[in-house]
Amino acid sequence: MAQYLLDTVWLIPVYALIGGLLAIPWSPGIIRKTGPRPAGYVNVIMTLFSFFHAVFAFLAIWNHPAQEVFIPWLSTAGLNLTINLEISAVTVGALIIISGLNLLAQIYAIGYMEMDWGWGRFFSLLGLFEAGLCALVLCNDLFFSYVILEILTLGTYLLVGLWFSQPLVVTGARDAFLTKRVGDLFLLMGVLGLWTLSGTWNYTELTEWAATANVDPTIITLVCFGLIAGPMGKCAQFPLHLWLDEAMEGPVPSTILRSSVVVASGAWVLIKLQPVFSLSPVASSAIVAIGAVTAIGGALIAIAQIDIKRCLSYSVSVYMGLVFIAVGTQQNEAALLLVLTHALSSALLVMSTGGIVWNSVTQDVTQLGGLWSRRPMSGLAFIVGTLGLIGFPPLGSFWALFKLADGLWETHPTLVGIVIVVNALTTFSLTREFGLIFGGKPKQMTERSPEAIWLMVLPMMILSGFVLHLPLVLQSLSLLPDWATLNKDVALLLIWSSIFGCSISSIIYLGNITKPIRLPWQGLQDLFAYDFYTPKLYKITIIFGVAQLSKFADMLDRFVIDGIVNSVGLFSLLGGEGLKYSNNGQTQFYALTVLLGVGFLGAWVTWPFWGIQFMDLIF
Amino acid sequence: MQLQYFLLLAAALFCIGIYGLITSRNAVRVLMSIELLLNAVNLNLMAFSNFIDSALIKGQVFTVFVITVAAAEAAVGLAIVLTIYRNRDTVDMEQFNLLKW
Repeated sequence: MAQYLLDTVWLIPVYALIGGLLAIPWSPGIIRKTGPRPAGYVNVIMTLFSFFHAVFAFLAIWNHPAQEVFIPWLSTAGLNLTINLEISAVTVGALIIISGLNLLAQIYAIGYMEMDWGWGRFFSLLGLFEAGLCALVLCNDLFFSYVILEILTLGTYLLVGLWFSQPLVVTGARDAFLTKRVGDLFLLMGVLGLWTLSGTWNYTELTEWAATANVDPTIITLVCFGLIAGPMGKCAQFPLHLWLDEAMEGPVPSTILRSSVVVASGAWVLIKLQPVFSLSPVASSAIVAIGAVTAIGGALIAIAQIDIKRCLSYSVSVYMGLVFIAVGTQQNEAALLLVLTHALSSALLVMSTGGIVWNSVTQDVTQLGGLWSRRPMSGLAFIVGTLGLIGFPPLGSFWALFKLADGLWETHPTLVGIVIVVNALTTFSLTREFGLIFGGKPKQMTERSPEAIWLMVLPMMILSGFVLHLPLVLQSLSLLPDWATLNKDVALLLIWSSIFGCSISSIIYLGNITKPIRLPWQGLQDLFAYDFYTPKLYKITIIFGVAQLSKFADMLDRFVIDGIVNSVGLFSLLGGEGLKYSNNGQTQFYALTVLLGVGFLGAWVTWPFWGIQFMDLIF
Repeated sequence: MQLQYFLLLAAALFCIGIYGLITSRNAVRVLMSIELLLNAVNLNLMAFSNFIDSALIKGQVFTVFVITVAAAEAAVGLAIVLTIYRNRDTVDMEQFNLLKW
């Protein structure tokens, strides 16, 4: 039975896809009488199937070697595109995470989307996302990874744009699509460039190729830059990070999925491509640089936000930046562990804050406060999520951050410093958010704030349980380092940075300091609050350039190209208009023209007989 | 006396006729210019028949025909001019430019 489930593990994306398709009929335009709720239930059931399937398959694959499945897709002259699935403990484990998180997010959505009619669209897109992500982790082929990434980009556009009657949603969805699309297009360049070098898109074969490859360093660096750009857009790394901020206009349940899993899809491809990146030291340094800048920048921005969802979205960029650092320094295991622990904790944080938004309406943290006594479940979930995200032993992310910092300890002490600082800043930011939401006195918006309904609290609590049990799970899978051989310095630094960030933030935001907090230099605070004025930056660089170029091309088309063609018509028109005056109605003029015609014809025909003498006579 | 002189005289007469044909404003003068042209042609025919074909003088027969046809043509021409004059009260050629573009 288990073996059968393992052999059919490729069905998992199909379940989700079927769930997504089954949700469509309950769009308000098709089934008008029942209301949209069955769409959600169908999807939850399909996701439940895929979750259990994944769990059983995981039990079957654990401690077994990886298997590969080949499905031919297209075969043309010189190119065989075969969908290549890798079924290993890691990929099936990732399937569990994806389907599990999607299951929780869907249950949460049944509660959160109570007052909404768009379940058909919403759940079919969630199904599409689950299918895409499951297919992505199973897929062992760069080309098909790219295909799935593009489908997910389209899915993001539609999901962010769910409530398209809101103008900010429309611009947010637009930016999310275009920004990720640009990254994906560069990725396509890299993918195509890589084919000419290696002749394969299979990750396993790419790893083998990269081990012995001897290529021009410039070329491989350029190809690697292309390959970095895709995950850079997907993972919301600087400077392609604005879309994640604006994607927070979408519904919260989809944000759960996006913050935790969708952004990790880029990281997954990045991790898979790490052997290729190791061919080019420049590309590796670039990955580290992008990751470090994003981590520090995002952490600082997250502190200065007042929107409850955007505080968290920048933390997502931060942790994806840490994954970039891990990949750039060849620490795939740390990167995968970080993706795992971040996914769980980040999803929990979004669930907790989503519940707050659900019945406190406002997303402005400065208008929230004093919820701890009345929203203990949400508060506890937030605390667990925070502890699971920062370096706090024994919870998950501590081990991921520890693994990362430990691997960097000997070679890149600066990067360890960055990890420590980022950890402290993230702790500060999350504690600030906790202090503003749950601490202090109730404000007008939060004076009456009941706990959310069970459909939202239940997944929150289940996920809290997962986050709390993650260390035990990791230990039972022997993924944790041995305590005896632990690098105590790194561990202590991490713990201290967490404590430091937490205590400073607690003093500021839970103590009696007057709010809102003002930095001595207002410009700096605004700089972070407006995320380094990235929209303006886009507007004056890329958007301005493309707009001017488009205008120029439009003018060129309108006036030059069209003008040339139109002038042909115009000239024939004018020619007709002008030449008609030769028919002036005077018979004598006609006689003259006849005579001239005869004269010239005669002169021309008889030229050989008299022309030469005539010319001699003149000259 | 040589053939060329006759031909040159005829050509000169023809040119004068052409000049009159395309410059006269009076329609009757145009008809008169046409007569000049025909006479230049007749002069040619007579000269050729005299100098080249003096035995059979086919040119002279041609000339007789041309004079005959010219008389008929002048009659029809004058009739046309008269008809136009009845309608438009003028024989000025520059007033007869209705059939233009």
